[in-house]
Amino acid sequence: MPTEAVPVEERLFSLVLALVATEHGLTKSEILSSVQGYRHRYVPGGDNASLERQFERDKDDIRELGVPLETLETPAEAGNNQNLRYRIRKGAYDLPADVTFTPQETTLLNLAAEVWREGSLSSESHRALLKLRSLGVDADDPTIGYAPRIRVREPAFEPLRAAIERHLVVRFPYLKPGESEPTERTVEPLALVKHEGRWHLASFDRNRQERRTFLLSRIVGKVTTTRTAFTPPEEDVAEAALADLDRILAGGRVRIRVAPGSDAETRLERRAAEQPAPGELLLNYSDSNLMADELASYGPEVVVLEPQHLRDRVVQRLRRVVADHEGATR
Amino acid sequence: MSARPLQAQDKLAFLLSLVPYLIDHEDVSVADAAAHFGVTEDEMRQAVQLIAVSGLPGDSAAYLPGDLFDINWDEFEDNDRIVLTHSVAIDEAPRFSAREAAALLAGLQYLSSLPENADRAALTSLMNKLARGASAPPSPVVVAQARVDAALPVLRDALVARRQVEFDYRDAQGSTVRRTVDPLRLDSDDESWYLRAWDHGREAVRTFRLDRITRLSSTNRPVSRGADEVALSDALFETSAADLTVVVEVAEAALPLLGDYLPEGTRTRPGTRPGVVEATLRVGHYHGLKRLATRLSGMVRVLEPPEARTVVADWARAGLAAYAGPEPTPQGGP
Repeated sequence: MPTEAVPVEERLFSLVLALVATEHGLTKSEILSSVQGYRHRYVPGGDNASLERQFERDKDDIRELGVPLETLETPAEAGNNQNLRYRIRKGAYDLPADVTFTPQETTLLNLAAEVWREGSLSSESHRALLKLRSLGVDADDPTIGYAPRIRVREPAFEPLRAAIERHLVVRFPYLKPGESEPTERTVEPLALVKHEGRWHLASFDRNRQERRTFLLSRIVGKVTTTRTAFTPPEEDVAEAALADLDRILAGGRVRIRVAPGSDAETRLERRAAEQPAPGELLLNYSDSNLMADELASYGPEVVVLEPQHLRDRVVQRLRRVVADHEGATR
Repeated sequence: MSARPLQAQDKLAFLLSLVPYLIDHEDVSVADAAAHFGVTEDEMRQAVQLIAVSGLPGDSAAYLPGDLFDINWDEFEDNDRIVLTHSVAIDEAPRFSAREAAALLAGLQYLSSLPENADRAALTSLMNKLARGASAPPSPVVVAQARVDAALPVLRDALVARRQVEFDYRDAQGSTVRRTVDPLRLDSDDESWYLRAWDHGREAVRTFRLDRITRLSSTNRPVSRGADEVALSDALFETSAADLTVVVEVAEAALPLLGDYLPEGTRTRPGTRPGVVEATLRVGHYHGLKRLATRLSGMVRVLEPPEARTVVADWARAGLAAYAGPEPTPQGGP
């Protein structure tokens, strides 16, 4: 590899400028032979394979920033890669003139960016803030002392997000609540939805041929992105999934007795739909196995009153724990 | 996938954003521009220098002066001020990428649960503008509105007004004590909200869960210590001495469910049966462990030490005892 005298950002910047300035587009060889960062390494009539690969990567990086880099085909010579022309249409590049933000909105957007503390969402929201600063509006309130944040702990999040954008089918091992062995799922990933503190994947399950929602925390192995593309549905899948999750949550209801002053009371009281009697709470739940797991974890602080099937599930879990922890192990 | 460090892309986004700002601000100090973009003054100077020598190849592909950006070099070198005298190709802020817009949109959805953002129309208009400012439809990442504790607006107001607050606080062991504190910062971690404050009684910074706060009242007394006078770490809880060692047997498939109990890099050993592994965890106390073992019944078994096994077994046994009595009377209709 030759040493690179021109910094990467200078090459990318020069490429964007050249492609915005051209009306009819530039061919690859025009770009490589004239644009700063490429031109010094270009061999006229020689082998420029590594420079061409560099250009391909640069194009991807620029597009990833939201810059609409177009590829134009010369109609007479369709299929001839050497005659493809590249350009960035200024109208598609510029932020629309009516998209402006007030100081108050800028404050809110600053805070929205801070919500993400980890992963690509964090770096992307900070990049968005750079573009926002371009407009020259200062926030009206430094929002000192406020630090709301959403965690993305699940390793499945990033590969799923990438696959959703590229409309690619994924495979992953899923441990369904209440089961002890994971099963391999093959799905068309559609949206990521945070509901009741949990991340969900809204998807179309290819084997079962229907919409399925998965808990990201229950994807217990590697997410494999296949090369199979799919056509995403027209409708707003995320909103539909959210409405679905709300409907499911409203459908399950458990009545419990909770010990006054206990940690369980602190945590569950604010989630309660109703307080039917002193010391009793009515809670909604989405999945009876997950709810039984949680209620069992409170031990003597919570007693399930009804429904019976949930009462049975909790008793069964507690019995198993007693059996697993009695006597010496080794 | 590009193996290049992310920094180059960020720097490009910075350059593309800086140009229109400099066109709008005909004469700005390096210090002001750096503060506005949240970068160091050195980073700002480097970016300006790069822009000043960049431009278009031009007809001769020679990058001649008229095809380049230019600045007033005397102002820049002598007075540390930026005056852009010539610009090419770009003059407007770039659009957001689909992912950038999606990240901000999902963040806004989360913030919409906060009481001061109750104005839905204003928020909806902001979200629409963001979506229109993106070069492609934002990727579908959605955050449902979360519940917010009633104490939040009161604490937020007191924090901004720099007033002391008083409240009853119930600790994890169940005892309640009246506290007087100077609010310093409100943090949330998903669904849970926390107040970090200077506790007058303990003369130290303490972290309080909002759902354990009752009988909250703000006072007219100014704070003795402001948020700017106390160094707060980004970590909500200082890692306490986790000096208890526990050996657990875990179903291999359930390992990811252990979450924070199994810090990245924790090594596991093959178990005594197929499909299970053993891991050594460090915990601060057994309180969380007994909850973990009962939540993952059948998937996690504590092996050592015997005291830990007893704590878990007793917890589950006490839970079972509550079911030994007569069946509860159903509550009427569903």
